[in-house]
Amino acid sequence: MGYATSRHIEGLPAPLQRVAGALVDWIPLAIVVVLWDLISGAVVATAILPAPGTVAGKIVELFVTGQVFSHLYISLFRVVVGLGLSIIAGILLGIGMARSDPVENFFDVFLAMTYPIPKTALVPLAILWLGVGTSTAILIVFLACLLPIVLNSYNAAGNVDQNLIWSAEMMGTEGRDVLLKVIFPATIPEILTGIRQAVPIAFVALVSAELIASNQGMGYLILTSGQIGNYPRMFANIVVISAVAFVAVRLFEEVRERWLVWT
Amino acid sequence: MDVTADANPRFDLSSALSLVKSIYSLVIVLVLWEAVAQLGLIHYYFLPPLSDIIMRFVELTLNGQMLYNAYLTLMRAMVGLAIASVFGVLVGVLSAQNDLVDWFFDPIIKIGYPVPIISLIPVFMLWFGIGDISKIIMVAVGTFWPVAINARDSTRQVETKLLWSAKMMGTSDRRLLWRVVMPAAMPGILTGFQIAMPLSLIITFVFEMVAGGGGLGALEIAGVRSFESTQVYAAIIAIMLIGIALDRLLRMARGRLLHWT
Repeated sequence: MGYATSRHIEGLPAPLQRVAGALVDWIPLAIVVVLWDLISGAVVATAILPAPGTVAGKIVELFVTGQVFSHLYISLFRVVVGLGLSIIAGILLGIGMARSDPVENFFDVFLAMTYPIPKTALVPLAILWLGVGTSTAILIVFLACLLPIVLNSYNAAGNVDQNLIWSAEMMGTEGRDVLLKVIFPATIPEILTGIRQAVPIAFVALVSAELIASNQGMGYLILTSGQIGNYPRMFANIVVISAVAFVAVRLFEEVRERWLVWT
Repeated sequence: MDVTADANPRFDLSSALSLVKSIYSLVIVLVLWEAVAQLGLIHYYFLPPLSDIIMRFVELTLNGQMLYNAYLTLMRAMVGLAIASVFGVLVGVLSAQNDLVDWFFDPIIKIGYPVPIISLIPVFMLWFGIGDISKIIMVAVGTFWPVAINARDSTRQVETKLLWSAKMMGTSDRRLLWRVVMPAAMPGILTGFQIAMPLSLIITFVFEMVAGGGGLGALEIAGVRSFESTQVYAAIIAIMLIGIALDRLLRMARGRLLHWT
């Protein structure tokens, strides 16, 4: 329930409050959709702004006919592989840099230099190396997601309570076991924060790579729908990929809440 | 400035050592790069020697191309960001202060923020064409969300004690906003800018790559299309320098503006 609405319906009984709150909360969106419907066709040509009903119908059509699935699968595959690789590399690099001076000395300068580059600017370079297609998109998603994960795990691994490490060492835990059984578990909450930051970035990187360097995937579908003038399909695909990104973030937050019971 | 250097002009061994420690890996990689490329172990197209790239960078800078394209990119990103800042701070502060505005914008922000904004580029090409205006509006729309959300959240978190004390001493509503609320919310608002700035560059680069019309993104893609990989690398060097400069600038501005924190 929104911050504003919750204060105006306090008088109602509790179950009603929730329903009323949800309804009142989403009225503005209904207003926007109605405005959209009114503007489309009246103020702006339907070709430029298809009516919401047309777009909704197109979304249904995309799913019923199954046209969208092959592109959606390939996009999801790219996001999952790119993000997965960046999680593995990011955790290793972050914890490694925090716990070992030589590792930090080696990688620090590269992170400092690549940190200010918007990773989508590297798409042309990825095209040079890997051509147009899945591996380019994966590389861009990987690079874009790497930094938030490295930074979060680096900060967390550097700040692990020294008492925990001493206690473990006193009880005979050594070297690698301290890393695996003490430091890594202690940094998991921050690593998850890093991944939470990386998920939306992954979708931006994915769509960028697919718009510029792909002949498959949702970004490609959006661009070509626009180029051939099938605007309802373009809008429908934008809604689909936005919904997927939204669900991915919510799903991740849900899983994190369930799983992180000990914090 | 290092104060100890003045007091002790002798060569400072430990600071030199830490400098060596921090950049030795970069030197190794760059030397390896040059060697591998010069020996022809990797095809020139994939990895031209560093020296060729630097020559290309200098050439593009001297003939004005690099500066002109950098200007185009920066102009689009910064004008868009400026527009987004005005509207974002306005909507954010108003939402935090006024229930009706908050009621209206909260669901829109919830839905609008997670949209991968890049996917709207074809829409903006349809609505506003592929020129500067279209790119600027796209940047403004894309960077509006982080600015607005951070402005709203930080304004909402201004301590009520501060507001009460100011009101008790007879501060008017307008003065309250400018003298108490805005300064107290400023760190959060600046955080919003820090998130929005790289985003403005991302949107500009991708738009330029997709739609052309000059700019560093278009310069890179032109390099790919004409198989001149040195141009791609040179443009990325320029992008890196711009990124570093903007990052520094924002940090400095933060220190200046928030000297009282």
